[in-house]
Amino acid sequence: MLAARTAIRVLGLALFVAVVVVVPSRISEFRASEFALIGIFFIAILGLNILTGYTGVISLGHGAFMAVGAYTTAILMLGRPGLEAGGLSPPDWLPVGDGMKDVYTIPIAALVAALAGALFGLPALRLSGPYLALATFGVAVATPSVIRKFDSVTGGSGGLNLFDSPNLTGAIFNAVHVPGGRTLTFNDWLYYLTWTIALALFVVAWLIHHSRLGRALRAIRDDEIAAVASGVGLAWHKTLAFSLSALYAGVAGSLLAMSAFSVQPGAFPVDRSIALLVGLAVGGLGSLVPLVAGAVFLVFLPQWAQDLSQAPGVPAVIYGAVLIGLMIVLPTGVGGLLRRVLGPLTSRLYPRSQ
Amino acid sequence: MRLLGVISLVFSLAAGAASARPAADPGVSRGEVVIGGTIPLSGIAASYASVGRGAEAYFKYVNARGGVFNRRITYKYLDDQYNPAQTVQATRQLVQQERVFAIFNTLGTEQNLAVRSFLNAAKVPQLFAGSGATTFGRDYRRYPYTIGFLPSYVGEGKVYARHILRTKPNAKIAVLYQNDDYGKDLLSGFRTGLGAKRRNIVATQSYDPLSTDVSSQIARLRSSRATVFVVIATPPFAIRGLVAANRLGWRPQVYVNQVGAATNIMRIIAATAGPRIIQNAVTLISVKDPTSPRFRNDAGMRLYRQIMRQHLPSGHVNDGFHVYSMAVAHTFVEALRKAGRNPTRASLMRAVASLNVRNNPFLLPGVRVRTSARDHFPLDQGQLQRWRNNTWNPLGKVISARP
Repeated sequence: MLAARTAIRVLGLALFVAVVVVVPSRISEFRASEFALIGIFFIAILGLNILTGYTGVISLGHGAFMAVGAYTTAILMLGRPGLEAGGLSPPDWLPVGDGMKDVYTIPIAALVAALAGALFGLPALRLSGPYLALATFGVAVATPSVIRKFDSVTGGSGGLNLFDSPNLTGAIFNAVHVPGGRTLTFNDWLYYLTWTIALALFVVAWLIHHSRLGRALRAIRDDEIAAVASGVGLAWHKTLAFSLSALYAGVAGSLLAMSAFSVQPGAFPVDRSIALLVGLAVGGLGSLVPLVAGAVFLVFLPQWAQDLSQAPGVPAVIYGAVLIGLMIVLPTGVGGLLRRVLGPLTSRLYPRSQ
Repeated sequence: MRLLGVISLVFSLAAGAASARPAADPGVSRGEVVIGGTIPLSGIAASYASVGRGAEAYFKYVNARGGVFNRRITYKYLDDQYNPAQTVQATRQLVQQERVFAIFNTLGTEQNLAVRSFLNAAKVPQLFAGSGATTFGRDYRRYPYTIGFLPSYVGEGKVYARHILRTKPNAKIAVLYQNDDYGKDLLSGFRTGLGAKRRNIVATQSYDPLSTDVSSQIARLRSSRATVFVVIATPPFAIRGLVAANRLGWRPQVYVNQVGAATNIMRIIAATAGPRIIQNAVTLISVKDPTSPRFRNDAGMRLYRQIMRQHLPSGHVNDGFHVYSMAVAHTFVEALRKAGRNPTRASLMRAVASLNVRNNPFLLPGVRVRTSARDHFPLDQGQLQRWRNNTWNPLGKVISARP
């Protein structure tokens, strides 16, 4: 039985990988950048899912952790020479380096964001339920202003331009050379980079889900008192969940900075944080693969709404109506639908543990 | 990707659109010129949507009269929600997917900065950026495909400084400014314009564009006992700031920067705080004010109202952004005409850098759109206005607002 289950999972993952690899040859260069954006939001939603889906802690502030990741990447890519060439004067104690290749900044951005998540998680977790949600919302609201405040490093409202930096791989019209002698356009490169990382982080999320940690987090979500009584350390697990979740958001932010070849405070408004929660709800709290649907929703629905009509207010109404309709028809998101449809099928193949 | 290229080539040959002129740049075909840009149609800055719709209405008017060299102008504007990251993605779509000839009228300083390097690397014209940031006119050597439109903030700041030096050379000055590139740019121009008299600035206070209240800043400015108050603020903060100043019984000579000085904004202030605080307030204007009784029978404004009636009946005629956007669209049409019968991106940029348009119907009488190889500030003139009788009244002649 176990073998059948594993086989199905490996097969599913292989199919997922195959689709990801094949897609760029089937779509235009521009579409590749859009699909990369889907990958970026997928990563961020995966991270939010660890916090909100598993642990039951609602965060309305994940855009802030994306900003941390994005700015870490941007500042490290430019380094002290790049920042000073842009007329900025980063303080001497700040280890901004001398400019770093973009891909190497991703793990650092992840760690810095994770640290920010842990630091925020420590005090914030004294709050519960809607109070914590409001605290995270406060962080999201303050983010652009905080970024503007430290303009000697962040470039203030104008932000940082990465396009002209030699550390940005394949800035648009230079082909990217990849192992095996092939070359990629910038958008295809972004696509492969994003989805490689997304797949890796997806596997990590899956492992967390099925580990002792994942079970502890779900125990907290279902009943905090019962979880504590069973020996789950509340503060430690919640802080860890916050930190892991911020790590994902940091990676997403880092990739967003490369994709937009710039960072600005305006790129991380409150809407960004709320959009992530919307994507998670559409994908389905607690699910994994269906979260892709949430990311697709975030990238494409505003565009489709705009294609239908550009009259004042109409795209927003379409967006809202579709969202409300989805939540009425699929209250558990796409993930819930899949479970309902596929559940009876897979349960014939192997007994489910849940 | 190669296969896709072949397919798209086959399609374009089948369509027969671009096949006649192999040398033509993207976006130009026998009967059409496609341009595009981003405008916030939703989100916090959605009131700027008129900047897209007004330009679109003007192009419809031009198209109805035969277009430019028998090509109709198609203007595709996409919503970026005023988020620079979305500006990048939408601009990518316009350049790589819609294959527009030029990016036109994209709104916002950060938004235009975000795509400037990309567009210059792709050699796609970035025309008439909707921002007064001085860099769009000043740094043309580094970014030859970029040009702004609005009078530069630095130039505007200098105009107010010169007026203060002439009328109240020894007045103490207080300044409220937005804490971003726009506010700092304008303040620096103002300081430069004051020269040695910059000591007269006795207090400056900034506000964050996402904040909701400026009353504590106003209280501090008030306590400086300044008699001149310069407001460098967007409409909501100009309203809050001046209403708060009035509540504190402060009666300074007010200067309101163009961004926050639309007639309807001033009327809101007058209705909320009473007329006294803004009595004799001064601003600089380059575009005709649709609410002004001065232009009731003006030919340009009659044309404006006709275009609004025919091509944008749902729009508010009194919304000054519509007039502004038609002034920009008019400039683009002039440049496209000058770029010749078979325009290329290079010939368009040459045309853009050699404009001399005296008859833009949407600009104040006497204001010219003028550029040269070394002058990339299309609109660098304006006329000071004084607020009296619930409207702006001209104060002196058309003057230079060069940075």
